Amino acid sequence: MGNQAARRHGLAANRIEVIMIRKTGPLRQVRPFSCGFTLALLLLLGACSQQPTINSETLSYDGAMPANLAGSWERDYSRGDDASLVLRRLYSQMSRAAQQRAAGGPYPGSSDVGISVKDASSIQALARLADEITRPDVLTISQNEYEISVSRKDDFAMLCEFFGGVSKGTDSPYGTEICGWDEDQLVSYLTLPDGLTVIHRFTISDDRNNLRVVTTVASTTSRLPFTLSRFYRRFEPASSEFNCIETLSMKRVCSTGEINP
Amino acid sequence: MIRRICMFVVLMCFGLPHAAAELNVSITVFDPGVPEDASTHRELLVFPKIRRIEALFLPFVLRKTIVETGGWGAVRVVPEPDIAAELLVTGTIIDSDGETLKLQVQAVDASGRVWIDNAYVGEWAGADSTSGRSGYQNLYDQITDDLGTARDASDSKVLEDVVEISRLRYAVQLAPSAFGDFLTTTPDGLFALNRLPAENDPMLERIERIRGVEYVITDTVDEKYQELYAEVARTYELWRKYRRKFAQYQIEEAQRQIHENSDAPRGSYEAIRGIYDNYRWDRMAAQEQEHWARGFDNEVGPAVQRMESRVAELEGWVDDQYAEWQRLLSEIFELETGLTD
Repeated sequence: MGNQAARRHGLAANRIEVIMIRKTGPLRQVRPFSCGFTLALLLLLGACSQQPTINSETLSYDGAMPANLAGSWERDYSRGDDASLVLRRLYSQMSRAAQQRAAGGPYPGSSDVGISVKDASSIQALARLADEITRPDVLTISQNEYEISVSRKDDFAMLCEFFGGVSKGTDSPYGTEICGWDEDQLVSYLTLPDGLTVIHRFTISDDRNNLRVVTTVASTTSRLPFTLSRFYRRFEPASSEFNCIETLSMKRVCSTGEINP
Repeated sequence: MIRRICMFVVLMCFGLPHAAAELNVSITVFDPGVPEDASTHRELLVFPKIRRIEALFLPFVLRKTIVETGGWGAVRVVPEPDIAAELLVTGTIIDSDGETLKLQVQAVDASGRVWIDNAYVGEWAGADSTSGRSGYQNLYDQITDDLGTARDASDSKVLEDVVEISRLRYAVQLAPSAFGDFLTTTPDGLFALNRLPAENDPMLERIERIRGVEYVITDTVDEKYQELYAEVARTYELWRKYRRKFAQYQIEEAQRQIHENSDAPRGSYEAIRGIYDNYRWDRMAAQEQEHWARGFDNEVGPAVQRMESRVAELEGWVDDQYAEWQRLLSEIFELETGLTD
């Protein structure tokens, strides 16, 4: 049943697409690969294709995780991108590119130098989605030796699992998540049906008090991806006089005394 | 020396009641069946801590069913396989997802004869709160029926031999020199009686009393599993209920996906938002299930820890006594026969 749903979205079961976005560069490539054979297939694709592929080195690391992002982070509204400004900048870029194409094209001086309605609409859709999924003002990141979880209000927790230093993706009929380490940046790749991808890149400051999250949303329906930067500051959640644990039958149980799960 | 004498006085106080036709059954705590590769657990929806609790808990449900059926001797849940058990039942949890419970169950008698070695699959049939019977009762009934069928297919002489072999295998563990040649091994690897000890063999009487003491401890351990069952059963049912809800949600969600007709143009905000939300809800549901798993573990964890700690104490006591019993019996054997172990 899940497979049927997946096929409807043009996503074969157990197959994911990965987009590699370099630190300094835009979207490079879309390539499908089987989740079970991630590394091998990526390397094979890289060898057989002129198109750049995901750097398989980001999907594994030696020793301890390159950075510790654990903590509670609140949005720093004084920094970061305004989605509408970024969108306007993109429109300008696209418009300039179109003008340049028109100037050097077969019909110089053509009046059709704007961006198409379709292009504008596609990029606007990406911008709106990027803005919405980066809206949560608090991120709670937990990290242990093999797992990083980024909890966000009203959204699923991003999950990065590394077993023996090798990334393990989360596969479902609705999409696939996999993480990697690009030096000390944690990169989360979410690949969804219909060529939609969401990539989050987490960078912690040297003093470990600031976190930058660069989110890129791309789609095969849009010629350009949309990227937004958000900044967060570390904060200590207010301590409560109650100690609480979650239970199954009584939900949240709190006590002023010590609770040992 | 006085301590040793006192110990034997204590041993003399315990008899070993037994009806030959009714075999005693030892059910070992199940193998949780958790895949070694931890990276597969999330994908396979295996919650190792909960599996470990199920491994302690499910044998007790089987025990209850066997006891209710009747026709058996003492039925006990034991932490480790007892190689001298008259009938030893072991099991592995293959799958347990709320809708389906799949167990691989093996029963072997003291002679080494395999009574059953089957996979049993139970589909949830709803819990009967008035009778307290498990929603997978059909599965336990089937196992119990198969055990009964295997027993009924054996004539009484075979069953009596099983009891005798069990007694002697236990005796061999404690005093190998005294009882080593009472048993033999058949070409197909089964234990068989070579000869029988005298009815009033004093060494065997001592060993039976020791076994009586061990049974008392085993019964105390069994009570601990019973207490755990009583303490955890309600929460466990709730966990299964949540898992069934999750499985049902996944089915309905997949159906919705198939029948959903989105009019949103490809690449539009509505279209990509829909794609993102499908994934979002799927992940949130899966993460909710993990949240329940943590809640279950938080709730029953202390009871499990208490039980395991008590069982470990009792087991430790038996292990310590075992060494002491072996030494004492060896000394007695030497005194009585002039032979050394």
